[in-house]
Amino acid sequence: MLKIENLTAGIEGKTILKGLNLTVNAGEVHAIMGPNGAGKSTLSYVLAGRAGYEVTGGSVSFQGKDLLAMAPHERAAAGVFLGLQYPVEIPGVSNLMFLRTALNAQRTLRGEKEASGAEFMKLAKAAAEALGLPFEMLKRSVNQGFSGGEKKRNEMVQMAVLEPHLCVLDETDSGLDIDALRVVSEGINRMRSQERATLLITHYQRLLDYVVPDFVHVLIDGRIVRTGGAELARELEADGYAGMAEAA
Amino acid sequence: METGSAITWKYPSCVLSGDDSVGEFYSVAVTNNRQQADTGTKMIHLGKNTRSTIVSKGISAGRSQGTYRGLVRVAASAEGARNHTQCDSLLLGHECGAHTVPYIEVRNPSATIEHEATTSKISEDQLFYAQSRGLDAEAAVALIVNGFCKEVLQQLPMEFAVEAQKLLGISLEGSVG
Repeated sequence: MLKIENLTAGIEGKTILKGLNLTVNAGEVHAIMGPNGAGKSTLSYVLAGRAGYEVTGGSVSFQGKDLLAMAPHERAAAGVFLGLQYPVEIPGVSNLMFLRTALNAQRTLRGEKEASGAEFMKLAKAAAEALGLPFEMLKRSVNQGFSGGEKKRNEMVQMAVLEPHLCVLDETDSGLDIDALRVVSEGINRMRSQERATLLITHYQRLLDYVVPDFVHVLIDGRIVRTGGAELARELEADGYAGMAEAA
Repeated sequence: METGSAITWKYPSCVLSGDDSVGEFYSVAVTNNRQQADTGTKMIHLGKNTRSTIVSKGISAGRSQGTYRGLVRVAASAEGARNHTQCDSLLLGHECGAHTVPYIEVRNPSATIEHEATTSKISEDQLFYAQSRGLDAEAAVALIVNGFCKEVLQQLPMEFAVEAQKLLGISLEGSVG
């Protein structure tokens, strides 16, 4: 589904990703772990196409297409979803309005029929209920006045409604208390399917107790230095990244 | 709602002469390219306990300049007059400008006058967030701008509000990218 080859990228002339290789197949959950500044967030922004992030080499193909040649909204319509570490507030625009506009923009770009008001409300209600976010909150402005945990739940609501093929979740576990972590993890697990892949980007092993990955990659200084199964995360938790960097 | 000409000066005003009379001014002024808009209102309080509300939203894009210029005058006869002014400016890009020039003349010490003003810029974060959910750059700007103007647009009758939203979108075409 996703094939990243020898990717180098950076911001403002500073190279952050230094030859990253990663292949993710449909149905798999991959975790990318690494210390601060290793390039975890850069990777997620490059995949989503954020302005300012410059790709200087390598390639990324998504479902056989050149992902890097696509504009951010085209990537979204193709099925790439980025759950942000810090979801953004948009005053005056309700969550429902935002999500419906997004869903219909994606469907239009894919040549599908737009969702009717009733169809959309049904999707949004089901998603909000599953994630324990009161539906009333979706009538408020996008993320405004939401707590850290509510923002992350809201990201999961958006993900459930938009039904992406590839879910890239950047530090979705940060700032969550244990109950919220469980709810958000259940949200991620519910989305697991044979047609969908997930890329979890995280600092800590904590999330991986709930969402058990098929593969764990260690990202240090812009490169993946080690790949293993779920047990690698526990090893990291015990030994830290320092030992890993030396071993590499 | 002002999308206007190359240069626009416009100040529709209220004279609140009767006791307890109320004046309200809600406006959205959009400028793009090299337009200049200098708009606002005058609220002249003459009667007792007169009240006025001003909500002005200015959006500047391209190399345009938007100015809010408003007068709130409380005459000596206007015992207990009240005014609340809220004036918000939104900048798109870094070559445009927004200015706020309130004139307040109070000749009665019992008056209550409030002026609130903000200037903000559409953030990269907001734009990217909307784009990453499937909106193209122009749709993302239109959505954010509509949110910014919501307090004014919701005062409009439904049919006109829909037209106003479309007009905002058209006025800002080509302002990003």
